[in-house]
Amino acid sequence: MAVIRDTMAEFDLFQPASIDDALALKRRYGKTSWALAGGLDSLDWFKDRIKRPEVVIDLSAVESMRGIRETDDADGVEIGAMTTLTEVAEHAGILSRFGLLADAASKVATPQIRNQGTIGGNVTQDTRCWYYRGGWPCYRAGGNICYADTPTAINREHALFESNRCVAVNPSDTAPALVALDAKFVIMGGGGEKVVDAEDYFITPAKDITRMTILEPGELLTSIRIPGTWAGARFYFEKVRDRQAWDFPLVNIASAMKVSGNTIEDIRLVVNAVGPRPLRLTDVERQLKGQSVTEEVGQAAGELALLGARPLQHNAYKIPLMRNLVKRAIRGTGARA
Amino acid sequence: MADGKLFGTDYIPADLVAKVTGRAKYAEDFRADGMLFTKLLLSPMPHARVRSIDDREALAMEGVMGIITADDLPETDNLVGSDRALTMEPMYQGEPILAVAAVDEETAAAAIEKIKVDYEPLPFVIDPLDSLRPGGPNARVGGNTIVDRKEVVEIKWTAQDFEEAGDSMPMGEAEVEWEVGDVAKGLEEAHLVLDETLYHQSQTHHPLETRSCMAYWQNDKLTIHVSTQSTQRTAGAVARGVGIDPTQVVVIAEYCGGGFGSKIGGTVNMPIAALLSKKTGRPVMHRVSREEENAYGRARPGFQGRVKLGFRADGRITAIDLYLIQDNGGYGRSGDFTSASRCASLNYTPLNMRFRGISILTNTPTRAAQRAPGGVQITAMLEPVIDMAAKKLGLDQIEIRKINAPDNDTTYGSNEHHVTSAYVREALDKAAEVSNWAELKAQSGQTNGSKVTGIGIALSSYVAGSRGFDGLMVIRPDGKLYVHQGIGNLGTHSVFGTARVASDHLGVSWENTEVVWGNTSRHLPHSAVQAGSQTTHAHTRANLAAAIDMEKKLKEVAARTLGGSADSYVVAGERVYRRGNRGSGLSFAQAAEKAIELGGTFDGHEAPEDINDWTKGAVAGLAGQGLVGVAKDNYGGEGDLWSFVVGVAKVEVDRETGAVEIQHYTAVADTGAVMNPRGLAAQIHGGGVQGFGLARSQKWVYDPKWGVPFTQRLYTAKPPSILDVPLDMRAGTVDLPDPQNPVGAKGIGEAPFGAGVAAVLCAIQDAIGEFDLKRSPMTTDLILNQLEGVPQPITVLATDV
Amino acid sequence: MSIFQWAQNPWGQEILIRISWDLLYLAIAGGLAFVIGHLVYRAKNPPKTAEVPDIGDAGKDIPEKIVRHSLAARLFHWVMAITMITLLVTAFFPILGIQFNWVPIHWMAGIVLTAAIIFHIIHASFWLNLRNIWISRQDWAEWKQEMEHALGKGEPPPKTDKYPVDHRIYHNAILVTGFGVIVTGLLMMVRVENLIFARNSYLLAESTWGWVYVIHGLSAVGLVGLIITHIYFAILPEKRWITKSMIWGWITKKDYLANHDPERWVVTDKASK
Ligand SMILES: Cc1cc2nc3c(=O)[nH]c(=O)nc-3n(C[C@H](O)[C@H](O)[C@H](O)COP(=O)(O)OP(=O)(O)OC[C@H]3O[C@@H](n4cnc5c(N)ncnc54)[C@H](O)[C@@H]3O)c2cc1C
Ligand code: HEM
Ligand code: SF4
Repeated sequence: MAVIRDTMAEFDLFQPASIDDALALKRRYGKTSWALAGGLDSLDWFKDRIKRPEVVIDLSAVESMRGIRETDDADGVEIGAMTTLTEVAEHAGILSRFGLLADAASKVATPQIRNQGTIGGNVTQDTRCWYYRGGWPCYRAGGNICYADTPTAINREHALFESNRCVAVNPSDTAPALVALDAKFVIMGGGGEKVVDAEDYFITPAKDITRMTILEPGELLTSIRIPGTWAGARFYFEKVRDRQAWDFPLVNIASAMKVSGNTIEDIRLVVNAVGPRPLRLTDVERQLKGQSVTEEVGQAAGELALLGARPLQHNAYKIPLMRNLVKRAIRGTGARA
Repeated sequence: MADGKLFGTDYIPADLVAKVTGRAKYAEDFRADGMLFTKLLLSPMPHARVRSIDDREALAMEGVMGIITADDLPETDNLVGSDRALTMEPMYQGEPILAVAAVDEETAAAAIEKIKVDYEPLPFVIDPLDSLRPGGPNARVGGNTIVDRKEVVEIKWTAQDFEEAGDSMPMGEAEVEWEVGDVAKGLEEAHLVLDETLYHQSQTHHPLETRSCMAYWQNDKLTIHVSTQSTQRTAGAVARGVGIDPTQVVVIAEYCGGGFGSKIGGTVNMPIAALLSKKTGRPVMHRVSREEENAYGRARPGFQGRVKLGFRADGRITAIDLYLIQDNGGYGRSGDFTSASRCASLNYTPLNMRFRGISILTNTPTRAAQRAPGGVQITAMLEPVIDMAAKKLGLDQIEIRKINAPDNDTTYGSNEHHVTSAYVREALDKAAEVSNWAELKAQSGQTNGSKVTGIGIALSSYVAGSRGFDGLMVIRPDGKLYVHQGIGNLGTHSVFGTARVASDHLGVSWENTEVVWGNTSRHLPHSAVQAGSQTTHAHTRANLAAAIDMEKKLKEVAARTLGGSADSYVVAGERVYRRGNRGSGLSFAQAAEKAIELGGTFDGHEAPEDINDWTKGAVAGLAGQGLVGVAKDNYGGEGDLWSFVVGVAKVEVDRETGAVEIQHYTAVADTGAVMNPRGLAAQIHGGGVQGFGLARSQKWVYDPKWGVPFTQRLYTAKPPSILDVPLDMRAGTVDLPDPQNPVGAKGIGEAPFGAGVAAVLCAIQDAIGEFDLKRSPMTTDLILNQLEGVPQPITVLATDV
Repeated sequence: MSIFQWAQNPWGQEILIRISWDLLYLAIAGGLAFVIGHLVYRAKNPPKTAEVPDIGDAGKDIPEKIVRHSLAARLFHWVMAITMITLLVTAFFPILGIQFNWVPIHWMAGIVLTAAIIFHIIHASFWLNLRNIWISRQDWAEWKQEMEHALGKGEPPPKTDKYPVDHRIYHNAILVTGFGVIVTGLLMMVRVENLIFARNSYLLAESTWGWVYVIHGLSAVGLVGLIITHIYFAILPEKRWITKSMIWGWITKKDYLANHDPERWVVTDKASK
């Protein structure tokens, strides 16, 4: 069969106006259905005729999945999954309390993509491994080979950690920020509402090689709650990329730190685009607690973060890059600041 | 310099409002009753033979109206070299095999999925060096290089060639070779000799508008909307591809969303819509997707290169010994590598030079000229080496370029041609002034936290004009001057700018000048292709020639109408009148009416002998519509036209992340007298920005095992974004007229590109030290690896990564 | 239902990638059907306790406990059993929808199994009588007779040698499928990250890989059927004496005499030591 790109194949389109209707459709059509948010990931797949859902459930009419509101939890916010990245990046409450997320969201792709892309879609998006995106029958596509980790593969963007047959990375910018903020993801499905820690939303290929998140076919991510715990903490987000717009991260880092005097009281440190899910550096966090914010501590933290890194042919640069980003996160100043 | 008031000033080009309001119609914006759409079936393999095609199921589908394959294409005098719209032996992944016309694209795509093509995979090669290895694969059945555009032959180097080279580029049997002076002696006499292996990648053109076409037939006449750089010169290409006479073709292309050399005379796919339309009897639209643009669009050939450079202690280059292996793609024989040798020769005027080169076929997209073909590559490759030499010799980057710079007396290349003018030292001085080089230089190496500053300067050159085309204009009874332009509207605005020379000469205001362009049925003269920076030079001359003819005819019409000799009349203020008596004369409107009465040469019923046949046809088409001015550019001239651009860049490299921020860019041009200042700044900045991409982020990647590309999308190919462009962008010009153009103008399309790439590369190198891999793009990862001592994942010669 | 899974390679060619997992369900269903069928049959024809023939004096040299499996053999069996089960669980649970990090456990168990089998081959070739598992023409005849008898025709088959013919057939099936998974499994290790071989998915040609995966898969689902039936028989009351022997190593004289032909499986004191 021929390779055709940029022309969608047929599907049935549903545009439910409520979560219940959307869920009913998801239940009815299960695996043959596809939830459509901003479409920046989805439409690529459809246009390239690689993923061919029979039913597309467009969530854009579900008003209750949009918008940002304060929660009962002091200082917390709840962000509807269909809220656009631009709204997230520009929301006053998020800017003042969770600048980390606003920063991350504002560094996604381009203004056009941020106007269209949603926070729910951004954390749920599939990997950008170009073998997989090219429709090659790799593990993630249900096959039995990883084309990105062969002697001749070109894998500059691929993983250092947690690879398991598949060496693809999670490309999201907002995901590490949400993990750093200890956000809770609200999932609705057949069994009602389920709330999981941001960290647990993302999975590795060891768990399921064909998915990036725990979402089951019948489920939807409806909102993301950020507790007040880290409001106003010392944040650091940095994204290194080949060009300054319209580009996924080579590596990004998000950290939230509570400092008293110069001592780190608590910290959450998350790196993305180095593995199949945002990598929370729990060992490093543990080490850092009680330490003071110095270049040396940052350096040591960077070294520790690398434990277990397995570089591929073309991505060894991610090792110093990640180490230095950890250092910068502790130091609190990037070079661009 | 022209004394007119339009030439050399800014203006609002006639297409601007349509463009910024989105009303400008590009090829794919057209619709026609009953229009069908086509989708193509592309080869999934880098090299294969189509054994059979079973399209029965597809043809049986509702809404499928027709299918064409290579068998439906007209016979050509098959130059082995050139590709056609469809093929039975695809030479690269993505080469079109067949086209389906259907009522909509969805149906066409679904039909294509039902077609069974039986392919026999053939050996393929991506890296020219692999093909040169003993026993290495050939891109074509008969061999790995094309000689004389007609014969495929096989050239293999010996195992010894490869062994001897070690980590450097091997240099076996060459296909092209020339030497001026004595290179061996030059190197011997040198104080410093550098022997470097270098790489420049192949690169897609990435025009924003893809090469879509829409075609329909009326009687035996084909009307085709295309995306093309040139207009008049596209008609011939369409005719050849469809198998009809150029007079049967109407090309409509008012706008072109970028071509950069990939759409010079239209595009290879133009016959598809035309032939399908003929077959189905309905208009056919062929919308080309980004992925397809990257397949059957064109690309710049990459070079693997090796250079030995000898320097005197004062920086003067005693010898250049250059060897280039060109990644040729599967078709044709790109001239880039030989152009590159000429640029090297001209930019550095070495006392002795040898060039050797070979162009090797690979199973990758067809190569074509891309903005400064050969020039960009060689500039990007050599300029950082020149900087290394300057450092080793303790010379300033500007000084080393000045001592080697060409001037008006320079000869260059294998046949030691002259240039018409070269004001390179002036350009270097001006660049130093505009960029404030002294201040920049003081910042070199300064650190700011983890960031370090680097500065770079680069000289880039390219050919800048041609001669001998026709100008054609009419003054109609409405009193306006209609300048007919066969060149294209590529966004450079030379289609308008060169018309202003005529307005100036005839004293017509810009408001009363109408430029007629973009549609060959509107009687366009034979023109230069809109490529190779030709049009500014060529068509200022041609339009001036026609304007002079117009002036002469105006006076004659006046003399015949009002008496006296033609000489006693003057043309000014949109009137022709007796010298000293403005009242006694004719308005242009009256003159046009008179001309129609007079007929003959006045209103185009007769045309001069020496103009091109195509122009004669256009004149005939205009006959009786007004006073016709038409002439061939007979000014003649000697020597080659070249423009030069000096680029200056300042970057900050973050040593912890490898990130690079370009903070300043200055481009200064030697492009003769300036025709359109704003347009010039846009050209030299735009070319520079394109260069930033090649220096920093833009990629061309193939999987070597499968011969399949990954950079078919803009987000994987990564041309630069606006945020990669510094706010501090400056432009300047030496503004010295070229002696061989009556208005002094030279073209400026090409040269800015190389200056952008090389200045940024030089600046990065200034910041981080001599590159351990002398190649581009210098991406974040390579920079960080170098800074952190991480072994580079690729060798300098690695292609397509 | 399909037998194979196909995919399109990067050149758009149809390539075989593995068996269809429908076959897994088929194997499970087949195994269970056999078990159920056998249970039904067994309910209708309750197994008679084999009579212990009186062989008089001939039996006096026969010890009370007869060694059937040496310690080494038993160790091997149980190591193999554990690894097999591990391999089955790690391979098939994810396919059945229970997801976990199976690959490392799978290949490690695979390596243990491989080592055990290498040991077993060496041990068996030097210390055991290979003829014990050989299936002769007579064996086939007896098997046919056994089957016919089970269906209510003809005479019961004669008593058996050390390993009854169905054991031998079973062993050979395990041998084939076992080799199938091991040889292919070792190759497949280069497709995944592992601590032993460098990863190189292009080691074999694409079509060869297809067959490797098919053989691994076919053998694997074959093993599913075999192991279901194996476990079933192992827990049947009338076969429990055999199961016990795999634990303790010996059988009783009674069971020996009831099930084996002393002429064919000659047990001497020496053998019983
Ligand atoms: C060229 C380009 C560059 C980009 N660069 C970046 C970048 O630099 N950084 C970055 O972080 N992202 C980047 N993106 C990703 C983009 O920003 C979007 O966030 C992302 O593609 C998905 O968001 P979406 O709203 O468009 O979701 P969609 O594409 O519609 O959906 C994505 C996936 O999530 C699922 N999904 C979406 N919403 C829900 C929900 N509520 N419940 C259940 N499932 C859901 C969909 O089914 C689908 O599988 C880029 C995208 C493009 C096209
Ligand atoms: C009871 C024995 C075994 C069974 C039932 C079994 C079953 C399976 C199955 C069903 C798969 C999935 C194959 C696919 O995706 O197509 C698999 C994969 C694999 N098996 Fe086994 N296997 C067994 C023994 C072994 C052995 C002995 C080894 C190695 C020495 C091994 C190594 C592997 C490896 C490396 C894979 C992963 C291949 C991949 O995902 O590409 N297996 N096995
Ligand atoms: S990295 Fe993952 S997604 Fe990419 S080819 Fe390998 S298995 Fe497929």
